[in-house]
Amino acid sequence: MVDTKTASGQPERLQLLRVLGPAHIWALGVGIVLVGEYMGWNFAVGKGGMIAGLIACWVAGLLYTCVAMIDSEVTSTVAAAGGQYAQAKHIVGPLMAFNVGLFLVMAYTMLEAANAITIGFLLDTVAGMQGHSGLHQQPFIVLCVMFLAWLNYRGVLATLTFNLVITAIAFMAIIALFLSVQFGVSSVPLDFSAVTTDPMPYGWIGILASLHFGLWYYLGIEGTCQAAEEVRSPARSLPYGTMAGIMTLLIAATMTWYVCSGLIPWEYLGQAGTPLFDAARVTGNRGLMVLLFIGTMFSTLASANGCINDASRAWFSMGRDRYLPIWFGAVHPVYRTPYRSIIFLVPIALIFALGAPLDQVVTFSILSGLLGYTFMTFNMVMFRKKWPLDTIKRGYVHPMHPLPTIVLLILCATAYVAVFLGYGTQLIAMVSFYIIASLWFHFRRYRFVRRGDQFTMPWPRPEGY
Amino acid sequence: MAYKPPKQSFAGQIFDVITLLVLTVGALYLPLYLGLAGAAKTPAPIANPTWEALGQNATEQQQWAALGVTDPAAANDIITARFDYSFSWMALVVMAILVIGYFVLVVRLSDKEYRDVIAERFGVKKR
Amino acid sequence: MDIWTILEYAAWALSALFALLMLSDMVRIDTTYDNDLLTSSREGEIEAAAERHTL
Repeated sequence: MVDTKTASGQPERLQLLRVLGPAHIWALGVGIVLVGEYMGWNFAVGKGGMIAGLIACWVAGLLYTCVAMIDSEVTSTVAAAGGQYAQAKHIVGPLMAFNVGLFLVMAYTMLEAANAITIGFLLDTVAGMQGHSGLHQQPFIVLCVMFLAWLNYRGVLATLTFNLVITAIAFMAIIALFLSVQFGVSSVPLDFSAVTTDPMPYGWIGILASLHFGLWYYLGIEGTCQAAEEVRSPARSLPYGTMAGIMTLLIAATMTWYVCSGLIPWEYLGQAGTPLFDAARVTGNRGLMVLLFIGTMFSTLASANGCINDASRAWFSMGRDRYLPIWFGAVHPVYRTPYRSIIFLVPIALIFALGAPLDQVVTFSILSGLLGYTFMTFNMVMFRKKWPLDTIKRGYVHPMHPLPTIVLLILCATAYVAVFLGYGTQLIAMVSFYIIASLWFHFRRYRFVRRGDQFTMPWPRPEGY
Repeated sequence: MAYKPPKQSFAGQIFDVITLLVLTVGALYLPLYLGLAGAAKTPAPIANPTWEALGQNATEQQQWAALGVTDPAAANDIITARFDYSFSWMALVVMAILVIGYFVLVVRLSDKEYRDVIAERFGVKKR
Repeated sequence: MDIWTILEYAAWALSALFALLMLSDMVRIDTTYDNDLLTSSREGEIEAAAERHTL
């Protein structure tokens, strides 16, 4: 496997391995996100009622469609590990890139921690159903993180093939539940009377507030770009995999809302830990229950797996550019993975998985994601301005520019207000953290960075510079 | 003349990582310790709960039963709990200024650094 | 000592095993190879060879 590239006269170089196809990209994107259908999205129903849940689902869907379009265009051109981080470095500037790198690492590490917590919780529930109360969740949380880190350490192809299989099974489970309920397997009929009798328990502000958790349906789809350096033909595979991913999720999200809202009273749904599993319980069908339990487990594992992959790529890229110590920029000579970054992030994920409550961890993750989407708006505008369409070849050009950008910006602003309604203090703490980290980077850390080397794309000089 | 960064010592590298970690953990745990985190629902249970009084129709009662809740009193808290969405406009404005200010700061400082990068990569602008 | 208690211990043991596998491999790699080779990866290098981004 050691086929270090030795160009004539050049010293040996280790690179990440280019082995992935579009299906792996789909698995990476959907794998991270699908867990949002199995848990979490339903808090949107709790925040504003059944209708609010559906509106949040579609509004967030629109937000993420914009994200996917913008991302596809930029990433099909800036194909480098670290995804949005490398985009920011080439288009906005070093400090922005440092911030985006942190957004990515935080969003994914926190999401990974949340997934590990969920696995512990689920096993505790099952143990409880079998009469074993007081299960210690820690060993299972630790095992989940360790096993997936090890898988990632051993190579990207196996990792994402594993993700492809378990994500596909988890997605099929949602479709199977939807079809079974449609064909009358459920012993309890669907009931949407709450839509007419109690449409908006909080009024319009509830619909706004529900957007906070509406993001959960899709959070992480933008992670597809992290694999840019490991895809065989990034200009084609990344837009294709990302777009297929967002379509899959829109379908899955709508079906999930339909089945869950029909089978579970909204007051219960709004606070349920595992909504799809609960919906299967209501049907009274043992087969569906087992299937949806497996789906919940698999989607959680797939998500944590993808998060380790993405967070380590972002951390690795920052190390490679010396934004962080260069030590992290190492590639394993046999497995060709950023192995030091993978190992380093294990204890970080464990600190949060073992020590912090689930909703806090997830809010941290959502907020980092949201800051990242906000960045994408002006990033896109600057990209088109510095390199107009006729100056460089893009793998994919998204239609109707700047409409998606404007829509995305408006939706981001709305989402900030939604998060503010529940978690204002965290929002302020988080932004303060990024401000302090930015100043630290600008005034201290940046002197270790080589200036010109940061710009690696074979592009012409940006216009206006 | 290209900028030559100093070589960072191993101790310096470790120090930088620890700084970043302390900041991260601090930002997450500080609101938790100060007890300022999160928003919980407050239940407003009604007296003598029946399924009808709680607004649950026949189908919904079946669904509750399937979820293992057969006694309306047990569902009383879940059904009547509501969020409190009152907020201060002042805090909203502070948040908006903070978020916008943050992005302005980052983009401006980035642009300064970016000009160096471009100058070094493509040479000083020729006219 | 029911099945779940055994599973807890098994989970601890497996976690330790995976951690050990990773750490020992990292130590082995770090002592076998030169650090300059390990950190020799450069962004966009293959890209520059494969496609030229010009019209």
